Amino acid sequence: MSGSDNTPDSGLQRDDPMIAAEWALGLLEGEELLAARGKYATDPDFAWRKEWWDNWFAPLTDAMLGAEPGAHVWEGIAARMAALSSQQAPAQGNVIALEARVRRWQWVAGLTSAAAAIALTLLVFAPGNAPVQAPGDTPAQIAAAAPMVATVPIGETGLRLDVTYIPESERMLVAAIGLTADGVHDHELWLVPAGGGELKSLGVVAPGQVRSMTLPDDIASGLNDGARLLLTREPLGGKPAGVDAGPVVAEGDFTRV
Amino acid sequence: MAADPRPASAEARQALRDAMARLANGDQAALEEIYRATRVKLFGITLRILGDQKEAEDALQDVYINLWQRADRYDPERASPIAWLAAFARNRAIDRLRTGKVRGGAVPVEEAAPLPDEAPLADMLMVDAEQAAQIHKCLGALDDRTQGHIRAAFFEGQTYAQLAEGADVPLGTMKSWIRRGLQRLRACLEASEAA
Repeated sequence: MSGSDNTPDSGLQRDDPMIAAEWALGLLEGEELLAARGKYATDPDFAWRKEWWDNWFAPLTDAMLGAEPGAHVWEGIAARMAALSSQQAPAQGNVIALEARVRRWQWVAGLTSAAAAIALTLLVFAPGNAPVQAPGDTPAQIAAAAPMVATVPIGETGLRLDVTYIPESERMLVAAIGLTADGVHDHELWLVPAGGGELKSLGVVAPGQVRSMTLPDDIASGLNDGARLLLTREPLGGKPAGVDAGPVVAEGDFTRV
Repeated sequence: MAADPRPASAEARQALRDAMARLANGDQAALEEIYRATRVKLFGITLRILGDQKEAEDALQDVYINLWQRADRYDPERASPIAWLAAFARNRAIDRLRTGKVRGGAVPVEEAAPLPDEAPLADMLMVDAEQAAQIHKCLGALDDRTQGHIRAAFFEGQTYAQLAEGADVPLGTMKSWIRRGLQRLRACLEASEAA
Protein backbone atom coordinates (compact mmCIF):
# COMPACT_ATOMS: atom_id res chain seq x y z
CA MET A 1 0.00 0.00 0.00
CA SER A 2 2.08 2.92 1.21
CA GLY A 3 5.81 3.19 0.88
CA SER A 4 6.25 2.88 4.59
CA ASP A 5 5.09 -0.70 4.27
CA ASN A 6 8.27 -1.53 2.52
CA THR A 7 10.75 -0.02 4.86
CA PRO A 8 14.02 -1.79 4.31
CA ASP A 9 13.89 -4.41 6.98
CA SER A 10 15.66 -7.53 5.96
CA GLY A 11 14.09 -10.85 6.72
CA LEU A 12 10.66 -9.46 7.44
CA GLN A 13 8.43 -10.27 4.55
CA ARG A 14 4.78 -9.40 4.82
CA ASP A 15 3.22 -12.56 3.49
CA ASP A 16 -0.37 -13.73 3.86
CA PRO A 17 0.13 -15.36 7.25
CA MET A 18 1.50 -12.05 8.51
CA ILE A 19 -1.50 -10.17 7.15
CA ALA A 20 -3.77 -12.72 8.83
CA ALA A 21 -1.96 -12.02 12.11
CA GLU A 22 -2.28 -8.27 11.71
CA TRP A 23 -5.95 -8.67 10.93
CA ALA A 24 -6.58 -10.93 13.92
CA LEU A 25 -4.93 -8.35 16.12
CA GLY A 26 -7.24 -5.72 14.62
CA LEU A 27 -4.56 -3.62 12.96
CA LEU A 28 -5.88 -3.56 9.42
CA GLU A 29 -8.04 -0.74 8.17
CA GLY A 30 -9.36 0.73 4.95
CA GLU A 31 -8.58 -1.07 1.74
CA GLU A 32 -6.30 -3.56 3.41
CA LEU A 33 -9.11 -4.61 5.69
CA LEU A 34 -11.50 -5.02 2.77
CA ALA A 35 -8.93 -7.00 0.82
CA ALA A 36 -8.36 -9.28 3.81
CA ARG A 37 -12.09 -9.92 4.14
CA GLY A 38 -12.32 -10.78 0.48
CA LYS A 39 -9.37 -13.10 0.76
CA TYR A 40 -10.88 -14.76 3.80
CA ALA A 41 -13.92 -15.68 1.73
CA THR A 42 -11.99 -17.20 -1.14
CA ASP A 43 -8.68 -18.45 0.23
CA PRO A 44 -8.95 -21.37 2.67
CA ASP A 45 -5.29 -21.14 3.73
CA PHE A 46 -5.70 -17.53 4.62
CA ALA A 47 -8.98 -18.19 6.44
CA TRP A 48 -7.34 -21.03 8.36
CA ARG A 49 -4.45 -18.83 9.47
CA LYS A 50 -6.76 -16.00 10.52
CA GLU A 51 -8.74 -18.40 12.67
CA TRP A 52 -5.53 -19.85 14.05
CA TRP A 53 -4.53 -16.43 15.32
CA ASP A 54 -8.06 -15.66 16.56
CA ASN A 55 -8.00 -18.80 18.60
CA TRP A 56 -4.59 -18.14 20.10
CA PHE A 57 -5.45 -14.56 20.98
CA ALA A 58 -8.81 -15.54 22.50
CA PRO A 59 -7.52 -16.22 26.03
CA LEU A 60 -6.39 -12.60 26.26
CA THR A 61 -10.06 -11.66 26.47
CA ASP A 62 -10.16 -13.28 29.91
CA ALA A 63 -8.48 -10.14 31.19
CA MET A 64 -11.42 -8.05 30.03
CA LEU A 65 -13.97 -7.60 32.79
CA GLY A 66 -17.42 -8.98 32.17
CA ALA A 67 -20.41 -6.68 32.02
CA GLU A 68 -24.17 -7.09 31.99
CA PRO A 69 -25.91 -5.70 28.90
CA GLY A 70 -29.35 -4.10 29.16
CA ALA A 71 -32.39 -6.36 28.98
CA HIS A 72 -33.44 -4.74 25.69
CA VAL A 73 -30.46 -6.36 23.96
CA TRP A 74 -31.98 -9.81 24.06
CA GLU A 75 -35.39 -8.43 23.10
CA GLY A 76 -33.80 -6.84 20.06
CA ILE A 77 -32.08 -10.07 19.11
CA ALA A 78 -35.29 -12.05 19.45
CA ALA A 79 -37.20 -9.51 17.37
CA ARG A 80 -34.61 -9.53 14.60
CA MET A 81 -34.53 -13.30 14.59
CA ALA A 82 -38.28 -13.43 14.23
CA ALA A 83 -38.24 -10.90 11.40
CA LEU A 84 -35.43 -12.66 9.58
CA SER A 85 -36.91 -16.14 9.93
CA SER A 86 -40.20 -15.10 8.42
CA GLN A 87 -38.33 -13.68 5.42
CA GLN A 88 -36.13 -16.60 4.65
CA ALA A 89 -37.52 -19.53 6.52
CA PRO A 90 -37.32 -22.31 3.97
CA ALA A 91 -33.84 -21.62 2.72
CA GLN A 92 -32.00 -20.79 5.92
CA GLY A 93 -30.89 -24.22 7.01
CA ASN A 94 -29.92 -25.25 3.55
CA VAL A 95 -27.88 -22.18 2.92
CA ILE A 96 -25.92 -22.70 6.07
CA ALA A 97 -25.14 -26.25 5.11
CA LEU A 98 -24.33 -25.13 1.60
CA GLU A 99 -21.95 -22.49 2.68
CA ALA A 100 -20.06 -24.86 4.89
CA ARG A 101 -19.67 -27.09 1.90
CA VAL A 102 -18.56 -24.28 -0.37
CA ARG A 103 -15.42 -23.94 1.71
CA ARG A 104 -14.57 -27.60 1.57
CA TRP A 105 -15.26 -27.89 -2.10
CA GLN A 106 -12.98 -25.03 -2.84
CA TRP A 107 -10.20 -27.17 -1.49
CA VAL A 108 -11.19 -30.27 -3.33
CA ALA A 109 -11.98 -28.77 -6.65
CA GLY A 110 -9.13 -26.27 -6.60
CA LEU A 111 -11.41 -23.71 -8.17
CA THR A 112 -10.24 -20.16 -8.24
CA SER A 113 -13.62 -18.50 -8.23
CA ALA A 114 -15.99 -18.65 -5.33
CA ALA A 115 -18.83 -18.39 -7.80
CA ALA A 116 -17.74 -21.52 -9.55
CA ALA A 117 -17.47 -23.34 -6.26
CA ILE A 118 -20.94 -22.26 -5.32
CA ALA A 119 -22.26 -23.42 -8.66
CA LEU A 120 -20.65 -26.77 -8.12
CA THR A 121 -22.11 -27.07 -4.68
CA LEU A 122 -25.51 -26.10 -5.89
CA LEU A 123 -25.67 -29.28 -7.89
CA VAL A 124 -26.36 -31.19 -4.73
CA PHE A 125 -29.68 -29.44 -4.65
CA ALA A 126 -32.13 -31.59 -6.46
CA PRO A 127 -35.03 -29.56 -7.85
CA GLY A 128 -36.77 -30.34 -4.57
CA ASN A 129 -35.73 -28.83 -1.30
CA ALA A 130 -33.74 -31.51 0.43
CA PRO A 131 -30.00 -31.21 0.05
CA VAL A 132 -28.61 -34.50 -1.14
CA GLN A 133 -25.23 -35.72 -0.05
CA ALA A 134 -23.26 -36.17 -3.24
CA PRO A 135 -19.58 -36.32 -2.43
CA GLY A 136 -18.84 -37.89 -5.78
CA ASP A 137 -20.14 -35.07 -7.93
CA THR A 138 -17.80 -34.40 -10.78
CA PRO A 139 -17.15 -31.20 -12.64
CA ALA A 140 -18.70 -32.81 -15.72
CA GLN A 141 -22.07 -32.17 -14.18
CA ILE A 142 -21.50 -28.46 -14.22
CA ALA A 143 -21.82 -28.39 -17.95
CA ALA A 144 -24.95 -30.50 -17.82
CA ALA A 145 -26.65 -28.09 -15.47
CA ALA A 146 -25.28 -25.01 -17.24
CA PRO A 147 -25.57 -22.66 -14.31
CA MET A 148 -25.51 -18.96 -14.92
CA VAL A 149 -23.04 -16.91 -13.00
CA ALA A 150 -22.75 -13.19 -12.53
CA THR A 151 -19.97 -11.44 -10.73
CA VAL A 152 -20.74 -7.97 -9.51
CA PRO A 153 -17.54 -6.22 -8.46
CA ILE A 154 -18.01 -3.53 -5.86
CA GLY A 155 -16.02 -0.51 -6.92
CA GLU A 156 -12.29 -0.88 -6.45
CA THR A 157 -12.56 -2.81 -3.23
CA GLY A 158 -11.74 -6.24 -4.63
CA LEU A 159 -14.99 -7.42 -3.10
CA ARG A 160 -17.82 -8.71 -5.16
CA LEU A 161 -21.19 -10.32 -5.15
CA ASP A 162 -21.32 -13.76 -6.66
CA VAL A 163 -24.70 -14.66 -8.04
CA THR A 164 -25.37 -18.14 -9.29
CA TYR A 165 -28.51 -19.47 -10.88
CA ILE A 166 -29.23 -23.05 -11.87
CA PRO A 167 -32.07 -23.14 -14.38
CA GLU A 168 -33.29 -26.61 -13.46
CA SER A 169 -33.59 -25.84 -9.79
CA GLU A 170 -35.00 -22.32 -10.20
CA ARG A 171 -32.77 -21.47 -7.29
CA MET A 172 -30.49 -18.53 -7.11
CA LEU A 173 -27.64 -18.12 -4.70
CA VAL A 174 -26.40 -14.66 -3.77
CA ALA A 175 -23.06 -14.63 -2.00
CA ALA A 176 -22.10 -11.40 -0.37
CA ILE A 177 -19.25 -12.84 1.64
CA GLY A 178 -16.76 -10.29 2.80
CA LEU A 179 -19.24 -7.44 2.73
CA THR A 180 -20.35 -5.93 5.99
CA ALA A 181 -23.38 -3.88 6.79
CA ASP A 182 -22.79 -0.20 7.49
CA GLY A 183 -25.95 0.01 9.55
CA VAL A 184 -27.28 2.91 7.50
CA HIS A 185 -27.86 1.44 4.07
CA ASP A 186 -28.99 -1.77 2.50
CA HIS A 187 -28.12 -2.82 -1.01
CA GLU A 188 -30.80 -4.09 -3.32
CA LEU A 189 -30.16 -6.35 -6.26
CA TRP A 190 -32.04 -5.84 -9.53
CA LEU A 191 -32.36 -7.89 -12.68
CA VAL A 192 -32.37 -6.14 -16.03
CA PRO A 193 -33.88 -8.77 -18.35
CA ALA A 194 -31.76 -9.75 -21.36
CA GLY A 195 -34.24 -8.31 -23.84
CA GLY A 196 -34.64 -5.10 -21.88
CA GLY A 197 -37.84 -4.33 -20.04
CA GLU A 198 -38.70 -3.46 -16.50
CA LEU A 199 -36.22 -3.92 -13.66
CA LYS A 200 -37.13 -6.73 -11.31
CA SER A 201 -36.06 -6.64 -7.69
CA LEU A 202 -34.19 -9.66 -6.43
CA GLY A 203 -34.30 -8.34 -2.91
CA VAL A 204 -31.94 -6.85 -0.42
CA VAL A 205 -28.46 -8.31 -0.23
CA ALA A 206 -27.45 -9.80 3.10
CA PRO A 207 -23.88 -8.68 3.79
CA GLY A 208 -21.51 -11.42 4.80
CA GLN A 209 -23.88 -14.17 3.84
CA VAL A 210 -24.71 -16.65 1.17
CA ARG A 211 -28.43 -16.59 0.67
CA SER A 212 -30.51 -18.89 -1.45
CA MET A 213 -33.81 -17.95 -3.01
CA THR A 214 -36.33 -19.53 -5.28
CA LEU A 215 -37.10 -17.33 -8.25
CA PRO A 216 -40.66 -16.68 -9.36
CA ASP A 217 -41.32 -17.65 -12.99
CA ASP A 218 -41.62 -14.12 -14.29
CA ILE A 219 -38.15 -13.32 -13.04
CA ALA A 220 -36.60 -16.64 -14.04
CA SER A 221 -37.84 -16.16 -17.60
CA GLY A 222 -35.87 -12.93 -17.91
CA LEU A 223 -32.69 -14.56 -16.73
CA ASN A 224 -30.77 -15.42 -19.86
CA ASP A 225 -27.27 -14.99 -21.12
CA GLY A 226 -26.54 -11.28 -21.09
CA ALA A 227 -29.09 -10.45 -18.44
CA ARG A 228 -27.66 -7.74 -16.25
CA LEU A 229 -27.60 -7.27 -12.51
CA LEU A 230 -27.57 -3.89 -10.82
CA LEU A 231 -26.84 -3.20 -7.20
CA THR A 232 -28.35 -0.02 -5.78
CA ARG A 233 -27.86 1.68 -2.47
CA GLU A 234 -31.10 2.03 -0.55
CA PRO A 235 -32.32 2.93 2.90
CA LEU A 236 -32.39 0.04 5.37
CA GLY A 237 -34.98 -2.49 4.29
CA GLY A 238 -34.63 -1.75 0.58
CA LYS A 239 -36.25 0.68 -1.83
CA PRO A 240 -39.38 2.16 -0.31
CA ALA A 241 -42.50 1.81 -2.46
CA GLY A 242 -43.30 4.79 -4.64
CA VAL A 243 -39.75 6.13 -4.59
CA ASP A 244 -37.09 5.88 -7.28
CA ALA A 245 -34.35 3.34 -6.72
CA GLY A 246 -31.15 4.68 -5.18
CA PRO A 247 -27.81 5.13 -6.97
CA VAL A 248 -26.32 2.16 -8.82
CA VAL A 249 -23.15 1.16 -7.00
CA ALA A 250 -22.20 -1.94 -8.99
CA GLU A 251 -23.26 -4.02 -11.96
CA GLY A 252 -22.46 -7.29 -13.69
CA ASP A 253 -23.70 -9.56 -16.46
CA PHE A 254 -24.85 -13.15 -16.35
CA THR A 255 -22.93 -15.68 -18.36
CA ARG A 256 -23.20 -19.42 -18.57
CA VAL A 257 -20.40 -21.31 -16.89
CA MET B 1 -4.76 -21.01 36.48
CA ALA B 2 -3.40 -24.52 36.01
CA ALA B 3 -6.20 -26.21 37.93
CA ASP B 4 -8.87 -27.95 35.96
CA PRO B 5 -12.17 -26.20 35.79
CA ARG B 6 -14.43 -27.23 38.62
CA PRO B 7 -17.02 -29.88 37.76
CA ALA B 8 -19.86 -27.36 37.65
CA SER B 9 -17.85 -25.31 35.21
CA ALA B 10 -17.03 -28.34 33.08
CA GLU B 11 -20.72 -29.12 32.96
CA ALA B 12 -21.54 -25.59 31.89
CA ARG B 13 -18.92 -25.78 29.16
CA GLN B 14 -20.40 -29.00 27.88
CA ALA B 15 -23.87 -27.44 27.90
CA LEU B 16 -22.51 -24.59 25.82
CA ARG B 17 -20.92 -27.01 23.37
CA ASP B 18 -24.24 -28.82 23.01
CA ALA B 19 -26.13 -25.58 22.51
CA MET B 20 -23.71 -24.53 19.76
CA ALA B 21 -24.23 -27.86 18.01
CA ARG B 22 -27.99 -27.51 18.27
CA LEU B 23 -27.85 -23.99 16.91
CA ALA B 24 -25.81 -25.15 13.93
CA ASN B 25 -28.55 -27.69 13.29
CA GLY B 26 -31.14 -24.98 13.11
CA ASP B 27 -32.49 -25.02 16.65
CA GLN B 28 -33.26 -21.36 17.26
CA ALA B 29 -34.01 -21.88 20.94
CA ALA B 30 -30.35 -22.75 21.47
CA LEU B 31 -29.41 -19.13 20.84
CA GLU B 32 -31.16 -17.96 23.97
CA GLU B 33 -29.28 -20.52 25.99
CA ILE B 34 -25.98 -19.40 24.49
CA TYR B 35 -26.90 -15.79 25.11
CA ARG B 36 -27.66 -16.43 28.76
CA ALA B 37 -24.40 -18.26 29.26
CA THR B 38 -22.07 -15.92 27.39
CA ARG B 39 -23.54 -12.40 27.28
CA VAL B 40 -21.53 -11.13 30.25
CA LYS B 41 -18.20 -12.11 28.72
CA LEU B 42 -19.05 -11.00 25.21
CA PHE B 43 -20.51 -7.71 26.34
CA GLY B 44 -17.39 -7.14 28.43
CA ILE B 45 -15.40 -7.52 25.20
CA THR B 46 -17.48 -5.24 22.98
CA LEU B 47 -17.63 -2.68 25.77
CA ARG B 48 -13.87 -2.80 26.27
CA ILE B 49 -13.16 -2.30 22.58
CA LEU B 50 -15.86 0.26 21.81
CA GLY B 51 -15.86 2.13 25.11
CA ASP B 52 -19.50 3.11 24.71
CA GLN B 53 -22.48 1.34 26.21
CA LYS B 54 -24.86 1.90 23.31
CA GLU B 55 -22.35 0.95 20.62
CA ALA B 56 -21.28 -2.08 22.61
CA GLU B 57 -24.89 -3.23 22.97
CA ASP B 58 -25.51 -2.78 19.25
CA ALA B 59 -22.37 -4.76 18.51
CA LEU B 60 -23.51 -7.45 20.92
CA GLN B 61 -26.82 -7.78 19.09
CA ASP B 62 -24.97 -8.15 15.81
CA VAL B 63 -22.77 -10.81 17.34
CA TYR B 64 -25.68 -13.03 18.33
CA ILE B 65 -27.68 -12.46 15.18
CA ASN B 66 -24.62 -13.31 13.14
CA LEU B 67 -23.95 -16.30 15.31
CA TRP B 68 -27.45 -17.55 14.69
CA GLN B 69 -27.10 -17.08 10.96
CA ARG B 70 -23.65 -18.58 10.71
CA ALA B 71 -23.46 -21.09 13.51
CA ASP B 72 -22.07 -23.62 11.05
CA ARG B 73 -18.84 -21.66 10.91
CA TYR B 74 -17.93 -22.80 14.37
CA ASP B 75 -15.68 -25.84 14.20
CA PRO B 76 -15.56 -27.65 17.55
CA GLU B 77 -12.39 -29.44 16.47
CA ARG B 78 -10.49 -26.19 16.32
CA ALA B 79 -11.65 -24.02 19.18
CA SER B 80 -13.63 -24.16 22.39
CA PRO B 81 -16.98 -22.41 22.09
CA ILE B 82 -15.97 -19.69 24.50
CA ALA B 83 -12.67 -19.01 22.70
CA TRP B 84 -14.42 -18.85 19.37
CA LEU B 85 -17.24 -16.66 20.64
CA ALA B 86 -14.79 -14.31 22.32
CA ALA B 87 -12.82 -13.89 19.09
CA PHE B 88 -16.05 -13.47 17.16
CA ALA B 89 -17.28 -10.73 19.49
CA ARG B 90 -13.97 -8.91 19.46
CA ASN B 91 -13.80 -9.08 15.67
CA ARG B 92 -17.27 -7.60 15.35
CA ALA B 93 -16.41 -4.82 17.75
CA ILE B 94 -13.20 -4.04 15.85
CA ASP B 95 -15.20 -4.05 12.60
CA ARG B 96 -17.41 -1.42 14.12
CA LEU B 97 -14.44 0.67 15.15
CA ARG B 98 -13.02 0.47 11.65
CA THR B 99 -16.24 1.46 9.87
CA GLY B 100 -15.64 4.89 11.34
CA LYS B 101 -18.98 5.33 13.02
CA VAL B 102 -17.42 5.04 16.42
CA ARG B 103 -14.82 7.56 17.36
CA GLY B 104 -12.58 4.87 18.71
CA GLY B 105 -13.59 5.27 22.28
CA ALA B 106 -11.67 2.51 23.97
CA VAL B 107 -9.55 3.71 26.84
CA PRO B 108 -6.14 2.36 27.85
CA VAL B 109 -6.14 -0.51 30.31
CA GLU B 110 -4.69 1.51 33.15
CA GLU B 111 -7.24 4.27 32.84
CA ALA B 112 -10.32 2.17 32.32
CA ALA B 113 -12.52 2.83 35.29
CA PRO B 114 -14.72 -0.23 35.66
CA LEU B 115 -18.34 0.49 34.95
CA PRO B 116 -20.58 -0.23 37.92
CA ASP B 117 -21.77 -3.49 36.45
CA GLU B 118 -18.38 -4.81 35.38
CA ALA B 119 -17.12 -7.86 37.20
CA PRO B 120 -14.46 -10.55 36.89
CA LEU B 121 -15.55 -13.49 34.78
CA ALA B 122 -16.93 -16.72 36.14
CA ASP B 123 -14.78 -19.79 35.58
CA MET B 124 -16.80 -21.18 32.75
CA LEU B 125 -16.27 -18.02 30.76
CA MET B 126 -12.52 -18.34 30.84
CA VAL B 127 -10.79 -19.75 27.82
CA ASP B 128 -8.98 -23.06 28.23
CA ALA B 129 -6.30 -22.64 30.88
CA GLU B 130 -3.53 -24.42 29.02
CA GLN B 131 -4.05 -22.34 25.92
CA ALA B 132 -4.11 -19.20 28.04
CA ALA B 133 -0.86 -20.11 29.74
CA GLN B 134 0.83 -20.65 26.39
CA ILE B 135 -0.12 -17.36 24.77
CA HIS B 136 0.91 -15.50 27.92
CA LYS B 137 4.21 -17.32 27.94
CA CYS B 138 4.90 -16.56 24.28
CA LEU B 139 3.85 -12.94 24.66
CA GLY B 140 5.99 -12.68 27.75
CA ALA B 141 9.01 -13.85 25.77
CA LEU B 142 8.82 -10.73 23.59
CA ASP B 143 10.61 -7.58 24.63
CA ASP B 144 8.49 -5.31 26.79
CA ARG B 145 8.06 -2.64 24.18
CA THR B 146 6.75 -4.98 21.48
CA GLN B 147 4.59 -6.80 23.95
CA GLY B 148 3.07 -3.54 25.09
CA HIS B 149 2.18 -2.51 21.56
CA ILE B 150 0.65 -5.87 20.72
CA ARG B 151 -1.41 -5.72 23.88
CA ALA B 152 -2.54 -2.18 23.12
CA ALA B 153 -3.69 -3.32 19.70
CA PHE B 154 -5.56 -6.23 21.18
CA PHE B 155 -7.16 -4.54 24.17
CA GLU B 156 -7.72 -1.07 22.85
CA GLY B 157 -8.28 -1.76 19.19
CA GLN B 158 -5.50 0.64 18.24
CA THR B 159 -4.31 0.85 14.65
CA TYR B 160 -0.69 1.03 13.50
CA ALA B 161 -1.10 4.75 13.04
CA GLN B 162 -2.41 5.26 16.56
CA LEU B 163 0.30 3.10 18.07
CA ALA B 164 2.99 4.95 16.13
CA GLU B 165 1.64 8.28 17.23
CA GLY B 166 1.39 7.15 20.83
CA ALA B 167 4.99 5.94 20.82
CA ASP B 168 6.12 8.92 18.75
CA VAL B 169 7.88 6.82 16.14
CA PRO B 170 7.45 6.67 12.35
CA LEU B 171 4.66 4.43 11.10
CA GLY B 172 7.13 2.14 9.34
CA THR B 173 9.05 1.61 12.55
CA MET B 174 5.94 0.61 14.44
CA LYS B 175 4.97 -1.79 11.69
CA SER B 176 8.39 -3.40 11.77
CA TRP B 177 8.33 -3.78 15.53
CA ILE B 178 4.93 -5.38 15.57
CA ARG B 179 5.51 -7.61 12.57
CA ARG B 180 8.73 -8.87 14.02
CA GLY B 181 6.89 -9.50 17.28
CA LEU B 182 4.10 -11.37 15.49
CA GLN B 183 6.63 -13.48 13.66
CA ARG B 184 8.28 -14.50 16.91
CA LEU B 185 4.93 -15.04 18.54
CA ARG B 186 3.91 -17.36 15.75
CA ALA B 187 7.13 -19.36 16.00
CA CYS B 188 6.68 -19.72 19.76
CA LEU B 189 3.04 -20.81 19.46
CA GLU B 190 3.81 -23.24 16.67
CA ALA B 191 6.61 -24.75 18.71
CA SER B 192 4.14 -25.33 21.53
CA GLU B 193 1.73 -27.02 19.14
CA ALA B 194 4.43 -29.31 17.85
CA ALA B 195 5.52 -30.27 21.36
